[in-house]
Amino acid sequence: MELLVLVWRNLTARLTRSLFTWLGIAVATASMVLFLSFGEGLRQALAAEMGNMGPQIRVVAQGTDAFSPPLPELPPEMLGQIEALAPALGIQRIIPAVVMFRGGFDPATSFLFYGLPEGADPRDFYPPAKAAAGRIDPHPDGAVVGAKKAELNHLTLGKPLRLSREVTVPVVGVLEPAGSMVDSFIFVPMKTLQEVLGTKNYGVFLLQLDPTADVEEVARKLEAAIPGIDAQSTTEALKFAERALRIGDLIRFGISLVALVVGGLLVANTVMMSVYERTREFGVMRAIGARRRFIFGLVLSEALFLALAGGVAGVIAGVAGSALINTYTQQAVGLALSAVTPRLALFSMGVALVLGLVAGLLPARNASRIPVTEALGRI
Amino acid sequence: MLRAEGLTKRYRQGEVEITALDDFSYDFPPGVTAVVGPSGSGKTTLLNLLAGFDRPTAGTVELAGMRIDDLGEDERASVRLKNAGFVFQSWNLLPTLTALENVAFPLLLAGVARAERNRRARELLERVGLAGRADHRPNQLSGGEQQRVAIARALALEPAVLFADEPTGNLDSAAGAKVLDLLLEHAAGERRLVLVTHDLQVAARAARVLHLRDGRLVQVEDRG
Repeated sequence: MELLVLVWRNLTARLTRSLFTWLGIAVATASMVLFLSFGEGLRQALAAEMGNMGPQIRVVAQGTDAFSPPLPELPPEMLGQIEALAPALGIQRIIPAVVMFRGGFDPATSFLFYGLPEGADPRDFYPPAKAAAGRIDPHPDGAVVGAKKAELNHLTLGKPLRLSREVTVPVVGVLEPAGSMVDSFIFVPMKTLQEVLGTKNYGVFLLQLDPTADVEEVARKLEAAIPGIDAQSTTEALKFAERALRIGDLIRFGISLVALVVGGLLVANTVMMSVYERTREFGVMRAIGARRRFIFGLVLSEALFLALAGGVAGVIAGVAGSALINTYTQQAVGLALSAVTPRLALFSMGVALVLGLVAGLLPARNASRIPVTEALGRI
Repeated sequence: MLRAEGLTKRYRQGEVEITALDDFSYDFPPGVTAVVGPSGSGKTTLLNLLAGFDRPTAGTVELAGMRIDDLGEDERASVRLKNAGFVFQSWNLLPTLTALENVAFPLLLAGVARAERNRRARELLERVGLAGRADHRPNQLSGGEQQRVAIARALALEPAVLFADEPTGNLDSAAGAKVLDLLLEHAAGERRLVLVTHDLQVAARAARVLHLRDGRLVQVEDRG
């Protein structure tokens, strides 16, 4: 009959109430795990994505953020400027590209087109890319479609893909599934996309650097030499992404905190009620010789036990929910967007425990301070 | 030892000050001492102060050679645990624990190891004739049985003083007689039993009877 047995007996003596409280904590924790799992999933997806690219720099018009499709705002002469600087900066290759996004409400009606220059193909974006059907190069007048996009929109070889009222291209290649964002891209010749957009400008320059070049330094020098551009390195993009994800995490944590606070109030209410009902028991314990610390520990342990059990169940439910979400996002965009990492699981458990601790403190303090004579009704 | 000197307890009830116990002094000898008096005479207040449940307004209490009237809550609880056992009118067993666990509870508080706790608790239950009811919860026991479990619990740490407050008050006469016999049996030797009762038949079994009225000790009856 150690303290834990006492805790267990007290909680099971009021089983229904304890179960509901446990469920409340579990739901609150699970919702937090799920909310935050999106951030973790995106982090993992991005790291994998960036890891597949060599040392490189993405040059876009100033003010373009790392995750929006860049608008065609880079004039043709800028290509010449960068070409002139290339030997001195260790730039091995410059791939100008045009990007067009046509958004819809779901992945099946959203299209991201990449216009590639002659001599460039999807492998320059994603080196392991392979053609599952047809060819990998969209030139001179075709479209190469990512695996997920092809599946969602039933794009098979030879099918026409309408880019605008005037411009339609046939599908000439379908890529193998890569488990990466490239699965959702459509690659077309750059001239075709420029025609669709009615511009001679470029949206982005992708610079491949000499392996010995200092990426950050090259980026800084480029920005200094050519006004009006942002030169984003892979690490910079990751840092930017991390910042964006952190903000997202905070917002999601804030939302899930509401559920958690409600869970905490549930625990506090359960424990407070139970303390109120057991006033006499605590009086007996104190009369026999229990110190205040013992009663305090007993009541606090009950709150912590509820929080721990609810937290464990919540994390398990969160893992299951995250797997469900991933089944959907894998189908939709070919990416696992939700991930319950060990640090997320630990963090959620920690939050649940802190919640239990905070919720249990006041009832525990009250229970340990009831005068013996009052508790036993001996006044 | 158990000794009270000038023990006084006053309460404030609104504007009125009530003296629940007034200048009570007595040195309790070993054996059974009954405390009797009409309701409101200060019996419960006296027991609260002697057992260290409450602190006196004035006066001193010595329990097992220690002044307890000026100790803090936790220190008094420690003194009680080691030196005093309690039997209340309404049994006051812990409802979620079995008879055995109830008896072992003071041993748990005293830090006795589990095996030893259970061995001693079983032995005590045997002494009160409840060996076969060890695994029953209080709500599965009769009033008399519950009170016997309470006696076994009070004896768990072999205390120097036993306090019993109307121990037979909620029992029928047969069960009451059995409980009283058990209590008196364990008040032998150097142990002191303070028996608060309004039942004169119960008081008649004590070696000494203290009569309280309006918070004052008005008579000490020594029956030798």
